[in-house]
Amino acid sequence: MKNVAFGKKMLFIWIVLGFFAQAVMAQNVKVDERIPRYKKATSISGNANSIGSDTMNNLMALWLEGFRKHYPLVNIQIEGKGSSTAPPALIEGTAQFGPMSRAMKSKEIDAIEQKYGFKPTALRSSLDALAVFVHKDNPLQCLSMEEVDAIFSKTRKRGFATDIVTWGDLGLKGEWQNQPMRIYGRNSASGTYGFFKDHALDKGDYKDSVKEQPGSASVVQGVTEDKFAIGYSGIGYQTSGVKALALSEKKGGECFDGSYQNVTSEKYLLSRYLYVYIVKAPGKPLDPLVKEFLKFVFSYEGQEVVVKDGYLPLPYEIVMEELKQLD
Amino acid sequence: MERRISYFKQKGDSYIFAASLGLVISLGMVVWIILVILTRGLSFFWPRDTVLVKLQNDSAYLGEMWESKTVYRVDAEGKEHKEEQFQLKIGNRDLYGRDFIWLTRAQVSEESDPTEAVTIERREYGKFFGFIRLVQIGDERFEQPGEILIEKAQEAHRLAIATRERIENTQEDLNNLMQPLANLQREITLLQLSPQAKTEKGQQKLAELQEEATKQEQSIADEYGILNQELERLTLQNRSIILTVATAEGAEKEIYFSEIVRFFQPNMMSGPAKAWIYAGKLWEFVADEPRESNTEGGVFPAIFGTVVMVLLMSIAVVPFGVMAAIYLNEYARQGTMIRFIRLSVNNLAGVPSIVFGVFGLGFFIYAVGGSIDQFFFSDKLPEPTFGTGGILWASLTLALLTLPVVVVATEEGLLAVPRANKEGALALGATRWQMIRKVVLPNALPGILTGLILAISRGAGEVAPLMITGVVKLAPTLAIDGSFPFLHLDRKFMHLGFHIYDVGFQSPNVEAAKPMVYTTALLLIVIVVLLNLVAIYFRNRLRKKYRGSTF
Repeated sequence: MKNVAFGKKMLFIWIVLGFFAQAVMAQNVKVDERIPRYKKATSISGNANSIGSDTMNNLMALWLEGFRKHYPLVNIQIEGKGSSTAPPALIEGTAQFGPMSRAMKSKEIDAIEQKYGFKPTALRSSLDALAVFVHKDNPLQCLSMEEVDAIFSKTRKRGFATDIVTWGDLGLKGEWQNQPMRIYGRNSASGTYGFFKDHALDKGDYKDSVKEQPGSASVVQGVTEDKFAIGYSGIGYQTSGVKALALSEKKGGECFDGSYQNVTSEKYLLSRYLYVYIVKAPGKPLDPLVKEFLKFVFSYEGQEVVVKDGYLPLPYEIVMEELKQLD
Repeated sequence: MERRISYFKQKGDSYIFAASLGLVISLGMVVWIILVILTRGLSFFWPRDTVLVKLQNDSAYLGEMWESKTVYRVDAEGKEHKEEQFQLKIGNRDLYGRDFIWLTRAQVSEESDPTEAVTIERREYGKFFGFIRLVQIGDERFEQPGEILIEKAQEAHRLAIATRERIENTQEDLNNLMQPLANLQREITLLQLSPQAKTEKGQQKLAELQEEATKQEQSIADEYGILNQELERLTLQNRSIILTVATAEGAEKEIYFSEIVRFFQPNMMSGPAKAWIYAGKLWEFVADEPRESNTEGGVFPAIFGTVVMVLLMSIAVVPFGVMAAIYLNEYARQGTMIRFIRLSVNNLAGVPSIVFGVFGLGFFIYAVGGSIDQFFFSDKLPEPTFGTGGILWASLTLALLTLPVVVVATEEGLLAVPRANKEGALALGATRWQMIRKVVLPNALPGILTGLILAISRGAGEVAPLMITGVVKLAPTLAIDGSFPFLHLDRKFMHLGFHIYDVGFQSPNVEAAKPMVYTTALLLIVIVVLLNLVAIYFRNRLRKKYRGSTF
């Protein structure tokens, strides 16, 4: 009798340990060795501005830190108030770089084309996965996209039959059964908000009960502090207090977590590119300052910075494609 | 009986009690919040002991114990399970990918606090917890464990830091040497890119610039060569001073000593030794630049930006506020019009600060700044100089925001000047302006300074309008520096209030950065108090000075 209990306990421990080991391993992503190392050009100096996504604020700052090691005379000022601030800044000419955590909408592209006569250049700078976070003590491991939609959306465009309000609706028992979910999300200026709306909610509307947070980290903070919370945010913001759920297309389908392999093979459903938009006249050379900075971004060192910030580096093929766009 | 109640009512004891209760509650909350900020903010820098935790599955972690709690979970059958959990800061972000880990007591097979464990603070990737294996200085290698190894490591660290400083100095010399040429080359590239380059005039200018650049290049070539060689030699030297450390599980890693901020063995350190480290960290926080996208290092640029912005704001707001108050009070004919203006000024104080921010963006940045660019910096367009957020526009926006405070406080001061003094001055033949300058203003100065104090308090704590008028997460250069014209009003700047927002809500490593939020908040409070104390000091001196002049 005692032995059985002990065995059960051990089993539990092994499961917990397995989870931790996996969580730790999953973060150790290596940059593709084939990606060219950064070669210093003769001498670059000058000022530039970057205005755009707040999700990419740290990334831009870290790239700049690395870039300035090669060119101490370069100053780039970084402002991140949300992806939607990038297109106007590019139109006004107040920024040379427009980091965006979502692709530009056709309306925004049109506005730029109207001003300059050509379309902006979209550069995929890195990969990110959005994750649905729950508290670390939450027993849930996997959600289907329909369930995600039914949790966050009031329109339920993915067609889940009923609204999901309590944890019991997802089949959790015990103390979880009658607890209502407390839902955390981003504010509407952020690209994360838009991406999740388009891809997880199928362009449906968020529930009114979603607590909109001013930053990705504060979503994670909210879920850390609140045991019965659920929220979405960039997977790079994961802390030890929260757990990222694996996702499946349909209920009962195969679950995939946000590991690098699953993101690059597009099995993980909420992955996206993080873009840097620039205005480049076709057939004309780019300002060397802008060009060298982007070359740094698409170098081995630049992609290492991506990993350091908790995002996922680009596969070799995409790096080469983007480097071609710079010429 | 009834009479007694009404007497109680008349005396109003219950209201006095309610009022004092309200005071106690609000004061209590202020004290409480300051205590929370103080304890959390100040304890962050204390070097913590490390523990070595071995787990049932043979993995091991070395780290700082941050939090522990008991969790009760109810399973499907309604039974309650008790679970002891603790949070360990395991650092080594480059290896584990994350700074913290939650473990349960049940997982732990062995726990100890090894004295030889070292905590290494690095410039990149945060802290490293581990054990020293090997110290390399050039060709010398030391791997005998014991005190000597630590001493050697300290020696190597000193050497590496000294070399690092020389590298930085050489780099700065090199930068200063290159700056004029770099500016010239930048001008050439921008000209080449612009449509102007196709015109004859553009070609001519381009040729001139290129000639100038070649001349400059030749003149600095020798010095450049020497400095560059020195830089390469020093860099190479620092690459040969290496520390090899091992993690709790035995994985080895090489760290350049020049990339280490400091290292220590917390488990065998005495109180004073820890206090010394604490002081060093505190100083680093106040005086150093931020690292790792603001989650580590110091906040000096943010302190600097906050103070400069507040000073600029004060310079802008006081003259205008005082002039407005004097006109309203001394010159204007009191009537409906003036009453209306006064009402508007008072209402201005209630307008949400973000509205001022939007006004600053539309008026100062786009309208005024845009025109300045058109007239004076048209050669740099489309790259804006003043047509984008900057410290000047942020200060002016805040000056507008705090204007009502100064106007109202100054008016109070002006009203307090005794009528007899004013009339006396006029009767002695002084003009109205002389009377204001010699009698009214000196007496009203304490009131004006009160207005300034209130304005500083309001201005230093404001973040929302700054976010759209010039505050950035990371400004590589300060608003005041050694290069001409020394005060750069067009530059963007960092601000402590925004720093708090950014680190708390946006940083990817929010667990590690959270204590930084408290420390920064503490610093902001200290700075506001200091600025206020300076103003109060002057007010008291002025009060003393002019007390005698009252009749």
